[in-house]
Amino acid sequence: MKWTRQGKLVNGPIYGLMLVLLLVGSFVQMNQTYPFWRKNYMPKVTDLGQLTGEQLLFAFAGFREMIAGILWVRADSFFDNGDYDSILPIIRLVTYLDPKQIDVYATGMWHIAYNFTDQENRADRRNIPIAVAFGEEGARNNDYTYELFYETGWLWYHRIQDNFPMAVTWFEQAAERKDILPARHNLLSHAKLRAGDYKGALKTWYELLEEAEKEMERNKSQRSNYAQRDTVEGNLDNLLIRLTQRGYFARENGWYDQGNYDTKPPFDVKFSASVTVTESRVMLVEGTWNVFPVGTRVKMILRDADYPNAGAAGLDWEGGDANNFSAPVGLTYVQDELFVRNRRFRKSIDLSRDPTIYPFVKDKYILEFYYTPRVAPEHIKDKFGYNGEGMTDSNFLNTEIRENQRVIYWKTEVTRDQILRRGEFGMEGVIPVFKTPNYVAPRVRNPEDDLVTPGTRRVEG
Amino acid sequence: MSLAIETIDLVKTYKHRGGASNTVVDNLNLQVESGEIFGFLGPNGAGKTTTIKMLLGIIGQSSGVANVLGREAGDIEIHKRISYLPEKPYYYEYMSGLELVVFYASLFGIRDNDRCKELLRRVNLANDMNRPLSTYSKGMQQRVGLAQSLINNPELLFLDEPTGGLDPIAHIEIRDLILQFREEGKTVFISSHELSDVERICDRVAIINKGQLVAQGRLTDLLAGGRVEVTAEGVSDAVSQSLRHENRTVSFKDGRLILDAPDSDDLNGMIDALRNGGAQVVSIIPRRKRLEDLFIEAVAEDDTAKGRQRGRMTDGNSDGTVSTEVEEVKTGEGESS
Amino acid sequence: MNAVLSIARTTLGEAIRRRVLLVILLIALLLLVIAPGMNGLTARQSQTVLLSLILGVLQLSSAVIAIVLTVYMIPNEVERRTIYTILSKPVLRWQFLLGKYLGAVSALGLMIMLMTGTMIAVFAAFQGPNVETLASLARVAMMYFVQMCLLAAVAIFFSTFVQPVVNFFLSGGVYLVGTVFGSLFATIAESQQLPQAVRVAAQIVMLIVPNFGQYNVQNSVINSGAQIVGEGIYYTNLAVYGVVYISILLLGAMLVFDRREV
Repeated sequence: MKWTRQGKLVNGPIYGLMLVLLLVGSFVQMNQTYPFWRKNYMPKVTDLGQLTGEQLLFAFAGFREMIAGILWVRADSFFDNGDYDSILPIIRLVTYLDPKQIDVYATGMWHIAYNFTDQENRADRRNIPIAVAFGEEGARNNDYTYELFYETGWLWYHRIQDNFPMAVTWFEQAAERKDILPARHNLLSHAKLRAGDYKGALKTWYELLEEAEKEMERNKSQRSNYAQRDTVEGNLDNLLIRLTQRGYFARENGWYDQGNYDTKPPFDVKFSASVTVTESRVMLVEGTWNVFPVGTRVKMILRDADYPNAGAAGLDWEGGDANNFSAPVGLTYVQDELFVRNRRFRKSIDLSRDPTIYPFVKDKYILEFYYTPRVAPEHIKDKFGYNGEGMTDSNFLNTEIRENQRVIYWKTEVTRDQILRRGEFGMEGVIPVFKTPNYVAPRVRNPEDDLVTPGTRRVEG
Repeated sequence: MSLAIETIDLVKTYKHRGGASNTVVDNLNLQVESGEIFGFLGPNGAGKTTTIKMLLGIIGQSSGVANVLGREAGDIEIHKRISYLPEKPYYYEYMSGLELVVFYASLFGIRDNDRCKELLRRVNLANDMNRPLSTYSKGMQQRVGLAQSLINNPELLFLDEPTGGLDPIAHIEIRDLILQFREEGKTVFISSHELSDVERICDRVAIINKGQLVAQGRLTDLLAGGRVEVTAEGVSDAVSQSLRHENRTVSFKDGRLILDAPDSDDLNGMIDALRNGGAQVVSIIPRRKRLEDLFIEAVAEDDTAKGRQRGRMTDGNSDGTVSTEVEEVKTGEGESS
Repeated sequence: MNAVLSIARTTLGEAIRRRVLLVILLIALLLLVIAPGMNGLTARQSQTVLLSLILGVLQLSSAVIAIVLTVYMIPNEVERRTIYTILSKPVLRWQFLLGKYLGAVSALGLMIMLMTGTMIAVFAAFQGPNVETLASLARVAMMYFVQMCLLAAVAIFFSTFVQPVVNFFLSGGVYLVGTVFGSLFATIAESQQLPQAVRVAAQIVMLIVPNFGQYNVQNSVINSGAQIVGEGIYYTNLAVYGVVYISILLLGAMLVFDRREV
């Protein structure tokens, strides 16, 4: 066929040009735009199967934030009646659809960490690694703001209370973000102290004081600036006094041995404990703790002997998977706190109500008692010090399971039959009891009770 | 005289899926001389619009040659010197007549509003040039179409059914304009079904049917070959026998002889023969051929629908429809050369 | 170039008078005005939901406008035979196509501007004027405009060889795939369960289908306060990407249209 027109496009070069352009476009996409978009704007689609068809279509038609918003609004009603089982999938879905919904992350991790357990005992800890992983995901997705770094740090600081250097790491990352509120810096210093880094804590207080004073100068009409300055100053003063009284500066200067400090001599807490399995899955925990002032909480843990990544009186709190919000099935991790009153603790723990939360399907279990003064109230730390310098126990002092800390620790093995009162333990009159060798059943009144009064002496040196 | 349009063995074949093909224009040989009004005639689907599209380069030919103003059809340089008025075009209705002409002028790079107004005045739209086209009557739309087609002062105009659907007055107006074009030395190529118009204004015509050229020539030549009817009384048998000849019919009615013969025959000889035989010549009526007869005659040979098309021929959409139906198959066909 | 601009101007003039488009535009405007009413239903996150809704409406109606506007553009010219008067003038086919495209794009720009203006007014009226958010809204709208230019190029490419109705679904489908694919791709490409071949295929589709999803940058605006480092460069890259793909599509359209017998 003959058909020529002047100005007719010539094929070859145009195909070539199109190919070149396609390569350029692909290059821009693969190297520039797509990675950036994925990092900053993309919704996660892995589990969007939970959406209905229309919701999915809407979500992709540009309404995904709206769907996320509406779902979150719907979650409100579940909050009202405490239906946490229904909230979790919504939280997961909303944050997949819109990973920038900070509030949902913050609320979600809070609920997973604190509320997603049985109402009765609140002793299940299997969900905490999930909450941590979720917080990490949120922080990763929103690294422009301090909020989720701070919230994740809070979990380590307040909920886990077992690995304060992690709290410090997260609070430090929060502090790097410019939008952090001044008052929220303070927790970093507290966390450093609990992590055993009193020098770091002091340094932070000094820096915060300097910052607070500058801020006050900058804006004199802002009342909160004065409040922050005063808070920091008060905290710094207190810390200096306590460090002095508890002999930390003396220790550093090498005259601790000569001086008279609150932490001297170490006080024997005389720990003993007994656990009686009164019924299947019901335990009566009793024991002694020779400290009279209120504020002591002894930690008790009952877990599978082979619980994944578990260590002495704790586990790998970072091992969670935020993509799967359901707690590990078939595992048991009970952690409870025994409040000391009148130098005793006594608590009945009933784990029979919810076998999905406390399944007890494994054969062997570990029962642990653990105490560290790091989480103790200040008046107790006045005697025990930050690392347990002023604390001892003739039977259960342990200096190995926690680096640079003197803690109280006892552990024993338990079997499933004992907990469930089965087999030989199911027989009439056979009652499993686990107790420290020094445990003595309490009388009504013990005349040998000692009183411990925190020191208020002037400090020498 | 030079040729404004020349096609040599021009063919347009549409291939359909499955290998069938449809030849719309078949070995067409047209010669249009400069400065003449050329009529291009044919029944529905004869291939008239397809031919025009090929001449304009809007579609490509399957084979053969199409030259316009001495260059190959479709040459963009030629487009500056020609213009085209399609059949029943619908223009951008929101525009006013003036805006439309200004728009088409801009396609030539002409920015001359006065010239546009002048053209509209020329087609008698001086008072309506600022009204939107949607308020125009058919005749006005056709006239504004003519105005836009004159914007580049073309040497050659293609008018596809320029008087289609117009009332008699509008007919006359358009016809007069076309005649003016010839006086200005323009070549006008008209495809029309208004045979009477064509007869009145065209210098030459071509008739195509089913894509093939059936007649082409000067109108006077094509219309030559009329007949004459002689009526006489008192004709003897011998005389009437002597008049019988091929191409003549001799009949009697009410005792009168009616002789029907081609006007190329020797009329004087026939009358002499009658008079010498004692007959009385009553009347001699020449009957000239009309374009309509020519058209019917030309198309009749292979057209089974002969009787249907008497008088007004409506070309309608048939050409357009054919090309629309097969256009998907056609795509890409043009690239092989 | 004169001819291209003339055709573009005419196309724009015609486009803004199309009744279909006006209806869609009205629906969009209506939605934008109704949107604040949603607030009453939602105790929390009213701003998120409101912003997301109006931006979603903006995107969706822009997409529908872009497709409807473009798919009929060339078929209409053929049907009305105006294309013959134009192509018989000294206008090359690629010029005609480019003019049509530019006209469509200007019309789109105008309509998106109109909708964005309304959107900003609605938002300012109900959430209070916040210069930063309003500027972000304009930015998001700008990205949608680039996206719609790309979509119009897809539609005009298809319109050179398929019927309008087919084209409507074809372009809509490409838009949907291009929108979803970015998200889906990550999942497919990273899924260890899927065979290698599927992942490679996903990558190839990714390279060919224009990625419309990338132009969805509303997330950071909806979640106010979210800051993204390097957004300016990203927008520039997106514009480059858009222009590159639009060029590819227009060249393709020109090649097909140049051979097409109208």
